[in-house]
Amino acid sequence: METQSLVLSLLYQLGTSAAFFFLAAVGLIIILGMMNIINLAHGELMMMGAYTATIATHAGVPFALTVPLAFLVVAAFGAVLERLIVRRFYGRQLGALVVTWGISLVMGQGTLLFFGPFMPSIKIPGGSFSYGDFSFSEYWLVLIAISVALIALLWWLYNRTTYGLQARAAMQDATMAKSLGVRTGRVYTLTFSLGAGLAGLSGALIAPTATIAPFMGQQFVAPAFITVVVGGAANVIAGAVGSATLLAAVKTPVGMAFGAFYGTVALLFAALVIIRIMPDGISARLQRWFDRRSRSGLL
Amino acid sequence: MSRNEENDKTVRTDGVDASAVPQAEADRGTDRGTGRGPAIRRRSFMQGAGATAAGLAMPTVIRGLKTARAAEGKVKIGHIEDLSGNLAVYGVQKFHAAQLAVKEINEGKTLKGGPVGSGGIGVMANYAAKAPVMGDGDKDLKFVNKGGDMTGTGMAFVQDEDVLIDSGESGLLGREVELIAPDGQSNNNIWQQLTRRLIQEDKVDCLVAGFTSAEREAIRPIVDKAKQLYIYTNQYEGGVADSNTFCTGAICEQQVIPVVDYMVKTFGPRIYTIAADYNFGQLTAAWTKAFAPLVGGEIIQEEFVPLSVSDFTTSIARIQAAKPDWVFTLLVGSNQSNYYPQASAAGLEYPMASTVNMAQGYEHRRFKPPSLNRMYNCINYMEEIPTARNQAFVKRWYEMFPDDPYIGQMAQNTYFSIHLYAKAARLAGTTDQESVKKALESGFSIEAPEGAVFLEPSTHHCSHYIRLATADAEHNVSFVREWPSIQPWWLQRIGVNLVKHKEYKQYIPDEDPFFSMFGKKK
Repeated sequence: METQSLVLSLLYQLGTSAAFFFLAAVGLIIILGMMNIINLAHGELMMMGAYTATIATHAGVPFALTVPLAFLVVAAFGAVLERLIVRRFYGRQLGALVVTWGISLVMGQGTLLFFGPFMPSIKIPGGSFSYGDFSFSEYWLVLIAISVALIALLWWLYNRTTYGLQARAAMQDATMAKSLGVRTGRVYTLTFSLGAGLAGLSGALIAPTATIAPFMGQQFVAPAFITVVVGGAANVIAGAVGSATLLAAVKTPVGMAFGAFYGTVALLFAALVIIRIMPDGISARLQRWFDRRSRSGLL
Repeated sequence: MSRNEENDKTVRTDGVDASAVPQAEADRGTDRGTGRGPAIRRRSFMQGAGATAAGLAMPTVIRGLKTARAAEGKVKIGHIEDLSGNLAVYGVQKFHAAQLAVKEINEGKTLKGGPVGSGGIGVMANYAAKAPVMGDGDKDLKFVNKGGDMTGTGMAFVQDEDVLIDSGESGLLGREVELIAPDGQSNNNIWQQLTRRLIQEDKVDCLVAGFTSAEREAIRPIVDKAKQLYIYTNQYEGGVADSNTFCTGAICEQQVIPVVDYMVKTFGPRIYTIAADYNFGQLTAAWTKAFAPLVGGEIIQEEFVPLSVSDFTTSIARIQAAKPDWVFTLLVGSNQSNYYPQASAAGLEYPMASTVNMAQGYEHRRFKPPSLNRMYNCINYMEEIPTARNQAFVKRWYEMFPDDPYIGQMAQNTYFSIHLYAKAARLAGTTDQESVKKALESGFSIEAPEGAVFLEPSTHHCSHYIRLATADAEHNVSFVREWPSIQPWWLQRIGVNLVKHKEYKQYIPDEDPFFSMFGKKK
């Protein structure tokens, strides 16, 4: 019983930790992973989603409805942002870095001026249940399930729809895609808007577990970038899933045995080692492995 | 009555002992308010105060003359706090507190209080300490709002209800007070730049700054190099013995010992400490570890969490595996505040104690109940303190800042500290920093919204009115016990006397041999 509950607790911690990494990264997967824009305003987009959900919840909207609302609001904001500012910086990675950093400062400080230093939080939906010595939050289990669903949805969107095909084509070779009739400008706007919307969605999902404050987004920036960079660009979705799982698998047992400080150290160390031995990220390694297997006729 | 007469009475030249001053006279409103208390023995202060008295006699004329002189002009109070970033939730409150205090000074108001001599509050027999009010655990939570019954010895016990009085002048020494308050942005490098700027370019007369101990330690070397008068208003881990620094917040001996004592007696001896991983968290945890055995407690596990961590799933599981009687949480910043809703959602229901939560980050207002259920904290200030003087202060605050969410402990400290600075400068008769430092070392008592606060000359720390606050399942705050005056005694114990020997360091518990002795298991 004791060992069983410990194992269950470790699995639960692993799941929540991986879900946290994935949710923190999901918007960035699209914007950094596919469009190759170093989006330092990622955290503020998540913050915007969290604020949207919180304000709507306080206004009486059921929490479950505020999540898609946050997606729409932040996606619309992302589209405007892309049209007005970000599109002038395609192909200029460092320019995009500086301009998104500026956007993040304006958003953070603007929120502070407009809404004050914090906003009362939303109650975490659902209760908890216990098994043995440990108890578990139902809401985090829901978040794990939502993460899995999001992964499936993204995979379907990019591999099974016309938009996905056009988006992948435009990212790979814009000129060729254009000459084949793809309206690349629109694809870029849609893609950036989707990435922003997903950041808003995950911000709304994490909102009940977090402090709602103007600079809350900053806590997600480091985990998000680590997840996406460790995942690599060969297949961003598979890469992010792989790196979120792997990083959680390093952080959880070390954290459980030695405390949060060593958990964080182990996480950063693991990211360092992975980037060193797999400079193209986990997804490139996965891709090669799949390629070999399909060549040898196993797949 | 003319100001002249009044001042003549205030500035005693006969060197009467403070303790001999009759109660009635000591209590007279403006006397103590102007910062010239009943007894000032040092010649320099007499001269200084005399000069002020002369200045006050003809305020308009003097002010006209002073603005004509290049060295005069506005009195500049430098104020750095984090108005953005991870710590903005605290910094904005402190900024507003400074604005309120400066506005009141410019409008001719001050808080009651004045120098009472080195003996402290008891010397005046004005606000005498009484035994802690004993409640019967959780069953008998009650508000103690007036300070208890009268003792049999005839000591005064009632707090003044109205502590904001006329100072007798607009501004400070006939000059307007200006607040120069840049944003530290929760970034220690920026703090250092701003400190240099305020000292070298703005030439501030007094620097009031600092939330985290890391920020304070980042700027203290710069302060010491320039011999800048510096007031640190936060509660912290204690131990700073610095001739240029005055620490007006509560420290470990005032907060940790009473709360650990209460928690061990009420909930049991097994303590799990989860603390922010920087000097404040580490040293406060060291205090807890050293003193827990004295009251029969035992630290079963300690965990230090980096400030960037915001996902506490693993920490929560570790606490459940350790099965403590209660959890000592020393978490700082908005990232780490996430611990409370996450722990609550995960079904973690241990009683908690802290020295920072509720009173600083108003977690009981920010998070949905019951996240902070059974949280205990020995605080020197919370907005909910039900005394009349505090309610008047809260009212004044919200008239100026109607949209503010909360008035925290360190905001109140900043508020009374700036009033205290004005009093000391009036006593010194000048804003010359060395003179004001000496004036602050004369044994000042000030009637803050929390209660009487005494600035202890030899260690530059304050005695405080400490209350044990707790939140229930609906996040209603009540005060279980109170200690009207707890001294900051640790630096005295290890022999610090800044009046006689200048020092510029922070002592840590390891330097006190008694700590290792306390820490040993029986």
